[in-house]
Amino acid sequence: MLSVSEMLKMRDKLRKWREENYRNSEQIVDVGEELLNEHASKLGDDIWIIYEQVMIAALDCSRDDLAWSCLQELKRQFPDSHRVKRLAGMRLEALERYEDANKLYDSILQDDPTNTAARKRKISILRAQGKSSEAIRELNEYLEQFVGDQEAWHELSELYINEHDYAKAAFCLEELMMTNPHNHLYCEQYAEVKYTQGGLENLELARKYFAQALKLNNRNMRALFGLYMSASHIAASPKVSAKVKKDNMKYGAWAASQISRAYQMAGRGKKENKCSVKAVEEMLESMQITMS
Amino acid sequence: MASSFWKGVVGVGLFALAHAAFSAAQHRSYMRLTEKENETLPIDIVLQTLLSFVITCYGIVNISGEFKDMDASSELKNKTFDTLRNHPSFYLFNHRGRVLFCPPEQEPSTPSAQALPSNPLRLRKLENYH
Repeated sequence: MLSVSEMLKMRDKLRKWREENYRNSEQIVDVGEELLNEHASKLGDDIWIIYEQVMIAALDCSRDDLAWSCLQELKRQFPDSHRVKRLAGMRLEALERYEDANKLYDSILQDDPTNTAARKRKISILRAQGKSSEAIRELNEYLEQFVGDQEAWHELSELYINEHDYAKAAFCLEELMMTNPHNHLYCEQYAEVKYTQGGLENLELARKYFAQALKLNNRNMRALFGLYMSASHIAASPKVSAKVKKDNMKYGAWAASQISRAYQMAGRGKKENKCSVKAVEEMLESMQITMS
Repeated sequence: MASSFWKGVVGVGLFALAHAAFSAAQHRSYMRLTEKENETLPIDIVLQTLLSFVITCYGIVNISGEFKDMDASSELKNKTFDTLRNHPSFYLFNHRGRVLFCPPEQEPSTPSAQALPSNPLRLRKLENYH
């Protein structure tokens, strides 16, 4: 039995998980189930959104009983809501009854053709059934109408990466970078896609965007490693001039020193520090690109 | 609770502000009655106004919650791909979790099932949560 302050703490945790898109479904089900069963009266109006959050987490954890009871409560409170219908559709999707779910979403769209949530669920159904090219096509049509939907752009970039269509994935990430210039993660993901595409110009572009990601957030280790790898790759390429080679070796050496320093700082005070630092140096050595 | 103290502070500040305004209005009408229009507002009313204003502002700032950084990118320093890649509107449910987290009662009661521990992934509440 939780005390009132613990209950408030749990409620705030649930809110944090909800706002920051954490998908820790087991924890959500554990915490949410207790909150809903024992402290429902003290939650006030928050209870409905917690029902929704717990229901989706319960679907992830295969707790169909809990999902069904949450859905019933929501249906009782909001009988004609499209949002609740969408949750019912998600439950059908989890049970793999895709035709029924599709019919439900079509009925929502008949009522309200601008409902974005139902369209996105239909795209997810296509993806769940493995029809990725159709999902990509539908998502493209959706994005032509709703250009500002960042979640959808990121989803489309992920779909393209799965299909190994890196040029189009890079385009989607460029859209995201344009609308979120301060977000170092989009820069870094874009740089990774460019690095994967390969070729000298793409490697240079990748190195520049890794540097940009580092400028936005100097603690981004993936960008640091990416900078090291792309600089080493360019330096090892036979087609570059001597000056470019020298510059890139300098960048690579700087990145390597930053990596060693970061690991040293992280391991400060722990007795295995010396071995870890040595392991990092060996790893950097082994990652050197040699001309084959 | 701390917030009721600050709410009290804001209340006191607003009351003092209203009181100062009322005294200034009274002073003005007194000036008009005694025809001494050249006297300025007494300094204690001015001080009371300024002080209650400062107290009210300070109290409101403490009620209104945490400040955010001006630098837009500093909020993102702790964000990782773990959460950025999750798109709640596009969640799929045909993943291993449907089988992995299946509650033990639904499993068929074969001898091999007896050997399975009771869902080792079930976490202890509260203490383990970051």
